[in-house]
Amino acid sequence: MLLENKFYKVLSVNQTDTLQAEYRLAILSECDVYNGHFPGDPVCPGVCNIETIKECAMLLTGEVLRYNTIKQCRLTALATPTVCPEVKVQLALTATDAGYNIQATIADDNQVYMILKGLLDKQ
Amino acid sequence: MTTSRAISKIEELIPQRSPIMMVDELLKVEGDECTCQLTVREDNYFVEGDGMMAEPGVIEHIAQSASAFAGYKAVAEGATEPPVGYIGEVKNFRIYRRPMVGDVLSTVITMGATVGGVTIISGCTYCKDECIAETQMKIFVRED
Repeated sequence: MLLENKFYKVLSVNQTDTLQAEYRLAILSECDVYNGHFPGDPVCPGVCNIETIKECAMLLTGEVLRYNTIKQCRLTALATPTVCPEVKVQLALTATDAGYNIQATIADDNQVYMILKGLLDKQ
Repeated sequence: MTTSRAISKIEELIPQRSPIMMVDELLKVEGDECTCQLTVREDNYFVEGDGMMAEPGVIEHIAQSASAFAGYKAVAEGATEPPVGYIGEVKNFRIYRRPMVGDVLSTVITMGATVGGVTIISGCTYCKDECIAETQMKIFVRED
């Protein structure tokens, strides 16, 4: 995992079905990515949230997964380690021949940060 | 305006810094298109243990290529600092293979209309002559 325990840490998991779960994560403010994104102005890179969604799907399935396609990913609010020190990642996967269809959101009690629909391939 | 060598130091065109600088050079600007380059190095933030770049790293490279284009235009208009932009939406991102350490990525950005501070871009990333990833994006530029 590229970002687990570096950009985020899993606090708890609520698995509601074989391929559905909610991961509660801490966003780690000491992550080195904030040295560069941006100097003196830490903003969670959207692509790190996209990677985090995939890594949660890998934790859920126990498989190595790669994005094949992101049909749409909307970044609906600016995420920073101060604005959202904790977030919930909601995942709903459905199996396909090559991997999974994925629908995911990242949110906290106040707002939604990301809504993603895509295809993951099994490695 | 067209030029075939690095136009400006990349730090003058994009606000991102180490460890998440995902463009080495803005190589060429021609009308609504620009070309940016990145050599994939082992210490790249998105390179995994197998020497391959995770897919979101390619999205960031395309976003920063668009950012360099916006920075180039801003500098041409007299700005002293590169504009800070955020990805608002990624649409129809396809990746055909992951870049690997040693690959030289060339990304062509086509900039579309800007409406209400949101610019629509499309990007295609090539390795040699092979398109390895493509996407559309909406980018917000922060107005300070």
